[in-house]
Amino acid sequence: METRSAQPYWNPYVAGVGLGLVLLASFVVMGRGLGASGAVASTITAGLNAVAPAHVAGNPAFAEYLKDGTSPLKDWLVFEVLGVFVGGYLSGMLAHRVKKVVEKGPRITTNRRLTYAFIGGILMGVGAKLGRGCTSGQALTGGALLNAGSWAFMIMIFAGAYALAYFMRRQWQ
Amino acid sequence: MPSFLNNLSLNGRLALVAFALGFLALFAGTPYHGAEAVLNAKELSLVMATDADQVGVVTLADWIIQGKSDFRVVDLRPEAAYAAYHIPPAENISVAALGESTLQHNEKVILYAESGERAAQAWMLLKAKGYKGAYLLRGGVEAWKDSILFPRIPENPTPAQVVQFARTREVSRFFGGTPQALAGDSTSAVPAAPQLAMPALAMPASQAAGGGGAPKKKKKEGC
Amino acid sequence: MMAPFFKFGLFGDNLGLVVAFAVGIGMGFFLERAGFNSARKLAAQFYFTDMTVFKVMFTAIVTAMLGVYWLSVLGIMDLSMVYLTPTFLAPQIVGGLILGFGFVIGGYCPGTACVGIATGRIDALVLFFGIFAGIFGFGEVFPLVSGFYNATPMGQLTLPQVTGLPYGLLVFAVVLMALGGFYGAEWVEKKMAARKVEA
Repeated sequence: METRSAQPYWNPYVAGVGLGLVLLASFVVMGRGLGASGAVASTITAGLNAVAPAHVAGNPAFAEYLKDGTSPLKDWLVFEVLGVFVGGYLSGMLAHRVKKVVEKGPRITTNRRLTYAFIGGILMGVGAKLGRGCTSGQALTGGALLNAGSWAFMIMIFAGAYALAYFMRRQWQ
Repeated sequence: MPSFLNNLSLNGRLALVAFALGFLALFAGTPYHGAEAVLNAKELSLVMATDADQVGVVTLADWIIQGKSDFRVVDLRPEAAYAAYHIPPAENISVAALGESTLQHNEKVILYAESGERAAQAWMLLKAKGYKGAYLLRGGVEAWKDSILFPRIPENPTPAQVVQFARTREVSRFFGGTPQALAGDSTSAVPAAPQLAMPALAMPASQAAGGGGAPKKKKKEGC
Repeated sequence: MMAPFFKFGLFGDNLGLVVAFAVGIGMGFFLERAGFNSARKLAAQFYFTDMTVFKVMFTAIVTAMLGVYWLSVLGIMDLSMVYLTPTFLAPQIVGGLILGFGFVIGGYCPGTACVGIATGRIDALVLFFGIFAGIFGFGEVFPLVSGFYNATPMGQLTLPQVTGLPYGLLVFAVVLMALGGFYGAEWVEKKMAARKVEA
């Protein structure tokens, strides 16, 4: 699908400043930061609510995403995540980096990689619920606000990833 | 010095800016200025002159009966007083806790206390902190008791007053109050120390959701 | 003191959703610019060959932190009105660990997975389904885990409150730590690149 070769990525510090300014804008305009995992929870709640509303109402893990009257999808994070898709596509398109591909190291099969991706996703979902967020919401947002729990969370993310990296090396290298 | 700055790479310059801003932070003090408030005296006095800041008990009673849920009612009295009786959809928030409450700056909030003084003070504080929708309930709980819960009809009422009182009685019964009976009973004492067990109300559904779900109103802002 | 604008009632929920969309576009854009649509690039962080994750994250944190601090000090922004997620120390520590495991196994985090999906990465899509499964599963077993989930609540807690140190001092400390980290990251990358050439 690529007709031109992909452009190199930006200077990471410049990209970081850009990301930081977006986060700052969110603080200044909305008084809140970024996030991603909450949007998934809202979507699940919306879906479940359509088929089993009593179940949702009785379970605090989902009920907290219900809105009084309107759909759980009419949520700040849901709209934000939709924007993330658009922004990512925009940037990728401008840099000719949009490609249907499976990212993996050379020593592993595609199927194995996809299996790992799914498992990794499950762990992410669980970790994000326990941690009350993910890297966008807790690490970036909470980090900038010197939120104690967020810094603890962020440090543990790095710790966990580095700890398991050795066992996953065949997937990536 | 200029040549040093010129020779810095982009990364170097970014680092320098960050370092400078971080270093200056050592001397700039606390970022929390939330305890301070700004009063726009002119604006507030204009509002006060037109009574645009006040809501009467009858109006509030009507709103509640109609099931309007676009406002919140705040009871500023101590917990014990609130527990003994409070106007149905009210939440109990003390003046000190107003700042940290879930009140939004642009939502309609009706403040009341015993009679009016505390509510007026709280109103002033909220307005100074930029809460645009703050109102006070004229007369407080005392006026509520007088006009809504235990309304009296004057001796020798005019026909118009009789008609008016019929409506007032309905309102009173809605809130579980005890309207005074008509003709001949006007001399019997208004319940002096009324046993104000909280009237069990069949609240209009939307209001019940608004009142009982007040904690739920806090928007989810995490991730 | 006018910011955060939304908290001062300058606009309503619906416009807030538009803002959300715009913020998301910015976030997705810069995440992709940094290269976070690629699981390989993201995972390389944990093998010290490509420290972009660390560089971008901490540059963003420092940028936003300095912005928030200075806007607040200058009275343009009311910091107390910015939402701070309450701290639940134990579940957050364990959650971070699990998320870290997921990150190096899966190769994306939820935000970067969206960017990956937007640029065609199939593994990002599969990971995203995994996230759905994980959150759904967690919700279903919630009664069993809710005790731990709600353990060690500490309310809204900041590092200045925990350490008793002035906010400004911690700002400086974070800046120093980040700058030091960046220097170290550059060094590590060069080392790993040299090692690869030798090998």
